[in-house]
Amino acid sequence: MDRPVHTSRRDFLRLAPFAALGAAADAAPDPRRILQGGRSAETGATPPRPAGSRPVWDLTTEPIEKVRVGIIGLNRGRAHVNSCVSLPWVEIKALCDIKDDVARAQAEVVRKKTGKSPDLYTGSEDAWERMVAREDIDVVYIATPWEWHTPMAVRAMELGKHAFVEVNCGVSVKECWELVDASEKHRRHCPILENCAYGEEELFVRRMSAEGLFGDLKHAEGAYIHDQRGTAPDGTFMRPQRDWRRKYHTLIDGNPYPTHAIGPLATYLGLGRGDVMTRAVSVSSPEIGLSQLREKAGADRARTADERYTCGDMNTTLIKTALGRSIVIQHDNTSPRPYSRGNALCGTEATFFGYPARLAIDSGNRHPLLDPKEKRSSHAWTYEGDRLKKFMQAHPHPLVKLAGEDAKKVGGHGGMDHLMNFRLLDCVRRGLTPDLTVYDAAAWSCLLEVSHLSVASGSMPVEVPDFTRGGWKTLGPLPLIT
Amino acid sequence: MNPQASTNRRDFLKLGALGAAALGLKATSAEAGPDPKALKLLGSQEIGATRPRPAGNRPVWDLSTKPLEKVRCGYIGLNRGRGHVNSAANIPFAEVVAVCDIVEQRAKGAAESVRKKTGKEPAVYFGDENAWEKLVARDDIDVVFIATPWEWHVPMALKAMEMGKHAFVEVSAAVTVDECWQLVDASEKHQRHCSILENCCYGEEELFVLHMARQGLFGELKHAECAYIHDLGKGVLWALGSEGDWRRNYHTFMDGNLYPTHGLGPVAQYLGIGRGDAFKFVVSVSSPELNLTQFRDKAQPNKGRHKDEKFVCGDMNTSIIKTQLGRTIMIQHDVVSPRPYSRINGLCGTEATFFGYPARLAIDAGNKHPLLDPKEKRNSHEWTYEKERLTKFMQANRHPLVTKVGELAKKVGGHGGMDFILNYRMLDCVRQGITPDMTVYDAADWSAILELSVRSVKDGSMPAQCPDFTRGGWKNIKPLGIVS
Repeated sequence: MDRPVHTSRRDFLRLAPFAALGAAADAAPDPRRILQGGRSAETGATPPRPAGSRPVWDLTTEPIEKVRVGIIGLNRGRAHVNSCVSLPWVEIKALCDIKDDVARAQAEVVRKKTGKSPDLYTGSEDAWERMVAREDIDVVYIATPWEWHTPMAVRAMELGKHAFVEVNCGVSVKECWELVDASEKHRRHCPILENCAYGEEELFVRRMSAEGLFGDLKHAEGAYIHDQRGTAPDGTFMRPQRDWRRKYHTLIDGNPYPTHAIGPLATYLGLGRGDVMTRAVSVSSPEIGLSQLREKAGADRARTADERYTCGDMNTTLIKTALGRSIVIQHDNTSPRPYSRGNALCGTEATFFGYPARLAIDSGNRHPLLDPKEKRSSHAWTYEGDRLKKFMQAHPHPLVKLAGEDAKKVGGHGGMDHLMNFRLLDCVRRGLTPDLTVYDAAAWSCLLEVSHLSVASGSMPVEVPDFTRGGWKTLGPLPLIT
Repeated sequence: MNPQASTNRRDFLKLGALGAAALGLKATSAEAGPDPKALKLLGSQEIGATRPRPAGNRPVWDLSTKPLEKVRCGYIGLNRGRGHVNSAANIPFAEVVAVCDIVEQRAKGAAESVRKKTGKEPAVYFGDENAWEKLVARDDIDVVFIATPWEWHVPMALKAMEMGKHAFVEVSAAVTVDECWQLVDASEKHQRHCSILENCCYGEEELFVLHMARQGLFGELKHAECAYIHDLGKGVLWALGSEGDWRRNYHTFMDGNLYPTHGLGPVAQYLGIGRGDAFKFVVSVSSPELNLTQFRDKAQPNKGRHKDEKFVCGDMNTSIIKTQLGRTIMIQHDVVSPRPYSRINGLCGTEATFFGYPARLAIDAGNKHPLLDPKEKRNSHEWTYEKERLTKFMQANRHPLVTKVGELAKKVGGHGGMDFILNYRMLDCVRQGITPDMTVYDAADWSAILELSVRSVKDGSMPAQCPDFTRGGWKNIKPLGIVS
């Protein structure tokens, strides 16, 4: 039961000089360097598709019986381990984390559930390279700090694996293009692991909009509002394990984490499939929250004393699409307010808002899903509270019907992690194009740098790149399920 | 029983020419009202320019006037103005001296309601578009209320101030930035108040948030959100004989936030805009225009007579305002979509967060404000106060103005009482001779967002710089007092 653990003292020593040589101990990618050189006037330029590359938006692959998986990064990756072990047609072949004990703990989870122990890759910053070089892996999950996402995903695809990449996928516009080009060159999927696109509420709104309940769609709002300061006296967000994430608050002023907000909205509006984001304009409030948190952090304050936070507490970004629709996304993770992803969709025939969930239906809306005898007023939400719950239960997304019960059991952010993993892995098993492709990964993630560049230029509008290189015009809508 | 039904053909002709000349309007026909499409819109470079103060003018942000025993009021525009007339009739120190409307019935109806309530019947003016000039020319009026179509606000306010009256102007006070400057200059020249009648600043919820913000419950303020979301697209905007005659017109030539002040007024007061902070620039994005056209084509309101109108104003406009202190305000406008009313009314500080619709207050776990129960458990994943608990907390921490006149306001009514509180407070300021809560700078700052948002949308969401109507005064003007 003890499979080889690829971290021996000898391995480590052998690898260390290699890492050191790789441009002076920059084994770890430097987010400052990744974000260097981005210019607001250049984001919209579409680089030509490299010769020999072809679009992957309808890429199908050979169906397989078992989907063999490797997972890098087992803090956030734990949820994916959980999903995978609950799916009999998925096998976790290998796990990788820089921390040995973290990896071992997850290996134990896998062993207990499946009886098989995955191989472990730990102990150094390039242990993952050996994992992705294996020949018996179909899918590599990447759930590491953001600056690692693109190098790992590109390498995984180069070596023939599909790369399932956590949010954000790319840190810069340039990295987002690297992902697109790698996916198109190596003909491997590179979906973004945007779990919020698989929340039950989001799937309900997606189904309703696809079935026309909202009429013509015109406006949407999303957010990532999540107070991450923590209530611990030392301020959770100031702890060493959050150092990498806090670093982005010293590098940019914009929306450092846009995809939970934009992802679900993009599936409603068909971004990349009939419509596309064209430009964004972004404004930030002052930075106060994180600096104040550090002051409260007590003994640990000295360790972070030199950090200078630049990212405004509340960032609001307005996005315009090719069809003229408008989108608002917000980010705030250091203010005293309850969690919200906004999750709003406005159409000519209905309006949905989340937090709390509410659905207003136009008095003239004659959609077949509605009770024709229902009285509606324009001054009250047609469905909220228990009435909305009932309506949602009567009209679940087919994926919820298929795997919703399992998802509740497996858990992970209320089940949405599992619905996402089930769906994406099932696509690979059956050889279908996954719901989320590299174009979604790139379009959603690039808002990090795009918003930053807009704020930096005094809130000038900045073009959002078209990663489909015009393909959005002819791509059909995302099917509810395939 | 008409003391002075001062409208005859001769007066009309005489004033028509005078009025047109005095106001610098194209006197194409004596009856032509100002054409909103002919209003001067500014280019991207000039819109944000702060104009020099004309020689002899002085700021009015601390203008005090002689205390009065009775505040004598005249009213122009009695569709929207009815509420104000009704308020005044219930305020013992106010007197409705004259009322004016182009529609005879409305003018007489308002006069009759005043007579019933007070025993005194005001003079009435009606019948043509210049009748109001006779009202503002009277020498027994202290305050002129202006509640007419938007394009009339500025010409009427200018004339009223010129004739020595305070002008209380409905929202938006002006349509364009150029008009906003005209209001500021007239108020400063004639040393008369020009207040915006922003009733939403006097909503119970808004007064509560203002009160708490001023007491420091929110800590440092950093962001606010507001809106005017009100589905008017199937009724009001098509109503003949009232707003349908002129308001829909704005949807045919402007794409932006056509009605910014209901949301913005309260939020500007929370943040101390014009009093320690100021608007810096606006960026704006509109959704496509859909609902107004779709409804027109489907329902053919007014027997299809609007079939050739072309609407250009995006259904949902979202703008972000950046302030001089770096704070942000998101402001939206949507009057045609199927969704319930909302002004959002969101305020975010370092120590607390409030949102309206439905009202919710979250308080930071570390907030030790004396108004709070020190034993209260709070967590960052729930609203600390909502529903009944919030109502209780609000009642325990009411704005002094609500304590003073809230009961009477509920009886008199008008948008749940806020119209009365507004009128009571504004007229009380004039009675006492003190500066009203809302000055011409507020009227200009808030109303200017209309053209600024239109400008930004037209420029592909480029930032439109906000002019500084206080001409630097915002740096030193004291915060709005908590009135009692």
